[in-house]
Amino acid sequence: MASIRDKYRDELLAYSFLWPSLLILVALLIYPLIDVVRLSFYDSNLQRETFVGLGNYQALLNDPLFWSAFLNTVLFTAGSVILHLVIGLGLALLLNAPINYGFRTFARGVLIVPWLLAPTVAGMIWVLMLAPFGIVNGFLTTLGILDPNAPISWLGDTSTALGSVTAMNVWRAFPFFMVMLLAGLQAVPQHLYEAAEIDGASMLRQFWHITLPQLRSVITTIVLLDSIWTFRAFDPVYVMTGGGPAHASEVLATAIYFDGFQKLKFGYASAEAIVMFAVLFVVSAFYVRRAMSNVN
Amino acid sequence: MARVASQGYFTQQGRRTLFNAMVYALLILAIIIMCIPIAWMLTVSVRPNLEVMQIPPSWIPKVFTLEGYTKIFDSPRYLLVFFNTFVISLGVTILSLFLGAMAAYALARFNFLGHRAVLMFLITTQMFPLVLLCIPYFRIFITLGLYDTRTALVVVYLTFTLPFCVLMLRSYFLNIPRDIEEAAMVDGCTRIGAIFRTLVPMSWPAFIGAGLYTFLLAWNEFLFAVILIESWANRVLTMAIYSLLAEFVTDWNTMMAFSVLASLPLVMAFIFLQKFMVQGMTAGALTS
Repeated sequence: MASIRDKYRDELLAYSFLWPSLLILVALLIYPLIDVVRLSFYDSNLQRETFVGLGNYQALLNDPLFWSAFLNTVLFTAGSVILHLVIGLGLALLLNAPINYGFRTFARGVLIVPWLLAPTVAGMIWVLMLAPFGIVNGFLTTLGILDPNAPISWLGDTSTALGSVTAMNVWRAFPFFMVMLLAGLQAVPQHLYEAAEIDGASMLRQFWHITLPQLRSVITTIVLLDSIWTFRAFDPVYVMTGGGPAHASEVLATAIYFDGFQKLKFGYASAEAIVMFAVLFVVSAFYVRRAMSNVN
Repeated sequence: MARVASQGYFTQQGRRTLFNAMVYALLILAIIIMCIPIAWMLTVSVRPNLEVMQIPPSWIPKVFTLEGYTKIFDSPRYLLVFFNTFVISLGVTILSLFLGAMAAYALARFNFLGHRAVLMFLITTQMFPLVLLCIPYFRIFITLGLYDTRTALVVVYLTFTLPFCVLMLRSYFLNIPRDIEEAAMVDGCTRIGAIFRTLVPMSWPAFIGAGLYTFLLAWNEFLFAVILIESWANRVLTMAIYSLLAEFVTDWNTMMAFSVLASLPLVMAFIFLQKFMVQGMTAGALTS
């Protein structure tokens, strides 16, 4: 007996520290996931449940609203992630230039503030700014671009609603990219640039042949993470437009919420959630594989 | 010859100065643009509602008023919301750090069966679509009699804060040599005693970084709160802000005053602890 205990000594010790966290996470994640899978085969409104097999999935595939929400989610995610990367990289490069140390700390600090705000708070500020008589239209009028008698209702127009929510999301979350890329830039070995300098490489060439390859790993990681986070985002859309007008800015997260908690079609909402989970799972697989190779 | 050389030197110097000036100019421009929404929130919070929607907009209010702020400070309902959010965030932070440190210790120090699987599970949990969890949570917490309680929020926030804390603390623990604990154990400490006397005090930057980030996530969370909380007595900030938006469409100065007050604690914490916060952000994504 003693030998078995000795053999599994590490296991015993490790799990005596691990079990509370594992128990909580299994109870909070695995059990609900199984419950949602089960529910997606039922027609359920909390009171009664009828088994419908793949009925929910069939209905979903034929539901134009689901597909438009899916497309909107993809557009929202792609727009956000691309602009996060462009703005974040630009600012990280500026902050990494040989500038005054105090000014750099100040600039970085100020530029992080949008990321500290709750998405609900950020969303509300933008609702105020984008109102027909808000500051955005005000600026455009002052610049002579916009006719003051025909203000644009940014969040009330089907053609601008999703773009407006994306703009807010770009503003709120670019600091994450900026901070991560700045940390990445500071880790690039200085001697690479010194060697390039001696060889007479221009700044553009140095950026293309040293900076970008050195940042590739960080960029891949944060692009994957941001894609996952943005794809599942709920708050910005719910707060700013509620998915409207006429579902023009509906994303998967809000569609699932409305189908489940307002129309009380829990089975249908579960099926939607499972499809969303499957898509996220594929992207996550790439991220998890990368993360696991860093771990070992 | 000498003239050419000095000229070359001069232009290079000049080019460098020009380049630097451009960097400063672009950064200042970026700061101004990115601060517009925040500046607008601040200026609207201290002006009468009549002055909010006007074309052309003005940055300095003609009439300065704190009525938005007084409305909030005079209302016990709103103050309670701040209290709720604070208690919930603090509870989640303490629990996540405590449980997270335990799990992180196991993952950093022992090579056990299932080590890889546990790590993979922790990383995967961060990718979960939270809206998927809403449907079962709603049902489960009603069954448990925990629907519309602050406890429910503390529990469900652990789904996204706990894995993060474990991963971040683990990567920090890995950099602390295990010899230090072992020396303490040789000197007669129990394992727990050794952890509390060596590892925990030595990892305080990681605890502050992970703690701040956890607090931020809990403070700003919205979706689970909407699903699990019904009564005003248990509401949190993000919900209260949304109800303000839905109920009082034109009371902009109160909404902005509320936004300022809701953001202030995090911004203040960030100013004083910027270094740890940035470490937390970077570690959260890169070391996991």
